[in-house]
Amino acid sequence: MKNWIQAFSIIDFISVGILLTVIAMNALKRLESYVRAYTLNSWLLSSLIAIVAFMVGETHLYVASVTTLVSKGIVIPWFLRKIVRQTKVTHDAEPYISNTLSLTISGILVAVVYTSLSQGIFVTGFSKNVLQISIAVILIGLFSMITGRKAITQVIGLLFMENGLFLAGFSLTFGMPVIIELGILFDMLMGVIILGIFAVQIKRVFISSDLDKLTTLKG
Amino acid sequence: MEYLQFMIIMLFSPLIQGVIKKLKANMQGRVGPGIFQTYYDLIRLCRKDMVVSRVSSWIFKATPYIVFTSTIAAAMIVPVITTRSGPGVMGDFIALIYIFALGRFFMALAGLDTGTAFGGEGSSREMTVAVLVEPMMMLSLFTAAISAGSTNVARIAEVQNVLYSPSHVLALSAFMVAIVAETGRVPVDNPDTHLELTMIHEGMILEYSGRYLALMEWAHYMKQMLLFTVAVDIFFPLGISKDMEITSLAISSALYLLKMFFMAVLMATIESTRAKVRFFQLPALLGGAFVLAVLSLLTYIMMGK
Repeated sequence: MKNWIQAFSIIDFISVGILLTVIAMNALKRLESYVRAYTLNSWLLSSLIAIVAFMVGETHLYVASVTTLVSKGIVIPWFLRKIVRQTKVTHDAEPYISNTLSLTISGILVAVVYTSLSQGIFVTGFSKNVLQISIAVILIGLFSMITGRKAITQVIGLLFMENGLFLAGFSLTFGMPVIIELGILFDMLMGVIILGIFAVQIKRVFISSDLDKLTTLKG
Repeated sequence: MEYLQFMIIMLFSPLIQGVIKKLKANMQGRVGPGIFQTYYDLIRLCRKDMVVSRVSSWIFKATPYIVFTSTIAAAMIVPVITTRSGPGVMGDFIALIYIFALGRFFMALAGLDTGTAFGGEGSSREMTVAVLVEPMMMLSLFTAAISAGSTNVARIAEVQNVLYSPSHVLALSAFMVAIVAETGRVPVDNPDTHLELTMIHEGMILEYSGRYLALMEWAHYMKQMLLFTVAVDIFFPLGISKDMEITSLAISSALYLLKMFFMAVLMATIESTRAKVRFFQLPALLGGAFVLAVLSLLTYIMMGK
């Protein structure tokens, strides 16, 4: 089994899949597709952790994998989908710049990360590319937060960044202690709920969830 | 013997087109024409008279021959069932892409030559698509070239035996989009209609009739099969014969047949399940595929596999 994982370089495939799902966010148009990309990203992340746990035989990584799957793969996407459904009027993401340009820029971001991190610190050594990919995920998540017009796209960008951070920490140290991870997850969950409620409220007060409208204050 | 490999592409390319049409018809619940219909069409076109516009110049008459011969020249470079391709040493896939570009250039000129609105429209669209597709094709093939250490298609087919790395999968998916765009299939162009809003390739050859049309169509079928062959050679070279032994050639031919059938099924599935993209949204689709190609190259350089 372990030989198979190595022979088919499954870890490489999954980490590239994680990178692709975050880049896909720049190619997609509808908010539902964003949520779907995030769900896929979380599932891939969870399975990556599970596979590494199997490879190195660390028990607490299984816990991390399962909690990731439950919280980021099931609960948060379900909640996000609910928010998207509540902001009924339009489901288009309408970013500030065109999809082609943002795709190109995210490609450039990946290139920059790959070149600047070509000699990294690889403590764990299960795959030397995971760190690069995680940094790329963080940067692209940040980029889509900058270019997103809707409140919900910012939330999803933040969630992608968090996934990237999780992956970075995991690739450097085999994950933090379980209690810290649980704390971060709880934080995340609360953050998403609060941001989601904010998004719905913004929508209700300003009739649109376009963040540009927030500059005109209402009493 | 190995010099005659291109005859396979020349003779069987209408068959591939027929198979794709038949599969597509079946998937859409129609009976569809028989798989040999494309041959009958070519023969019928060859028998018919030609109508050539009085205002057209020599370019219009020369283009069918240039397109047809350049496609044959491209077919000579590519190994079909054995990598011992004699003329293969003359060119690599960069030459291949530029030979295609030569044919495309003359086709676009011929579209403009007769002065019809549709011809010009088709030419301008074809060139727009080509600008986006060519670099993507190059990049995705470069990934394979770096890992094989050669840009020669036959060499790549000989050396390459693994697909199990992320960079190759990314390159393959970018190359598939490139094939769809180059052969004028559904998300990019609709091969079945002569509707002015959608046609790209049909627009350019709208003025052709009779023997010239037969040559243009045949060249198009050949180009399609050639691109399938390149994809198969570079990304699934499993079983391709490395010598001229009868047994290995037989195995290689059987596998080649299977692979071509697989490609036909894939194309028919893509065409039946996808809707045609609006022309102004094409840059988003092709740009996405371009990013895939860039990523594949980067991933290869970084991961080393």
